[in-house]
Amino acid sequence: MTLMTTAETETAKIARGLRERDIELLTELVDRYQHRLVRYVLYLTGRRESAEDLAQETWIRVLERGGQYNGRQGFDPWLFAIARNLAIDDLRKNQKTGQAASLPEDDDAVLLVPSSGPSPFQAAARSQDAMRLAGRLEILAPLYREALLLRFQEDMSLAEIAQVVGAPVTTVSSRIYRGLATLRSAFEEGASYGE
Amino acid sequence: MESEQRFRELIDRSFAEEISDGETQLLRDHIRDCDGCKSYAELTARTVRGLREFAFVSGADANAQVREIVAQHAGTMRQREGQQCAVQFKVWAAFAAALLMSFAGSAVVYQVARRVAVPVHLDTAQVQAGVLIFWLLPSLCAALRLLAAPGENRGMA
Repeated sequence: MTLMTTAETETAKIARGLRERDIELLTELVDRYQHRLVRYVLYLTGRRESAEDLAQETWIRVLERGGQYNGRQGFDPWLFAIARNLAIDDLRKNQKTGQAASLPEDDDAVLLVPSSGPSPFQAAARSQDAMRLAGRLEILAPLYREALLLRFQEDMSLAEIAQVVGAPVTTVSSRIYRGLATLRSAFEEGASYGE
Repeated sequence: MESEQRFRELIDRSFAEEISDGETQLLRDHIRDCDGCKSYAELTARTVRGLREFAFVSGADANAQVREIVAQHAGTMRQREGQQCAVQFKVWAAFAAALLMSFAGSAVVYQVARRVAVPVHLDTAQVQAGVLIFWLLPSLCAALRLLAAPGENRGMA
């Protein structure tokens, strides 16, 4: 109960600060979320250079539209939803200029043309297992990568993820399972569990 | 085989969301006796663990740069809002002055028109109608036009 009250107070405080464009609060939020925001956008777009720009643009949006955050929901899903919209707009723009391929109708079909240079996932891998997963992450559709990141790195609940991606909880869980299945195959060579 | 598939779905669910105590116990019992599902659970756990082993390092001054940009943008927004407030104030001040001048001007014009009307034999009602139609209403329209003028010209005419 105390924890819940604390959480409520926290979001209410953020909502009030955003309404008043409290720079001190914004600075604190940037410190707390910038790293996570860049990581999230990176998982969505697969491109390090645009991830930092989009994260920066997200904060400008937060500043401009802070009054729309009511504090009744968590701040994280609201923030990530803004970043997501910007990232999707960016993907669409890149698609028009030929840097990304086949977006719309089925969002699951968002595929990126691999950029030259080392993959950001390989660069970020901190263990041998992570390195093995990096290769799969690169070819995994961004929507699956996104669901996996929000669940296993951001530790969001399925309901919160659904709020960020604007999809039903069942769709979110199915993306997680399909994503896990693809990544698991990185370890399956040599392993057998009777299939 | 079908039951194994069901247990593997349960294993996936146990990582992605919460499963009940009963389901957890059921899964434990099954895994103890089924090597295939045990291996599947281990690989899934390894995958989830691996996913947590990515560390994206931000540029050292990236946060400072973002903070600076946000602060600058906030300053620009405040300045813009201040300018908008000043324009609004001018609009309403000009409107109030125009309104005052309309009524005060009409009163003066009415007094003059009453005197001029005597030699030409116009009665009071005719003078009042004349002042209303040819003076008060046009000046009120001009005052209201200040509020309707577009953009930053509003209130400046």
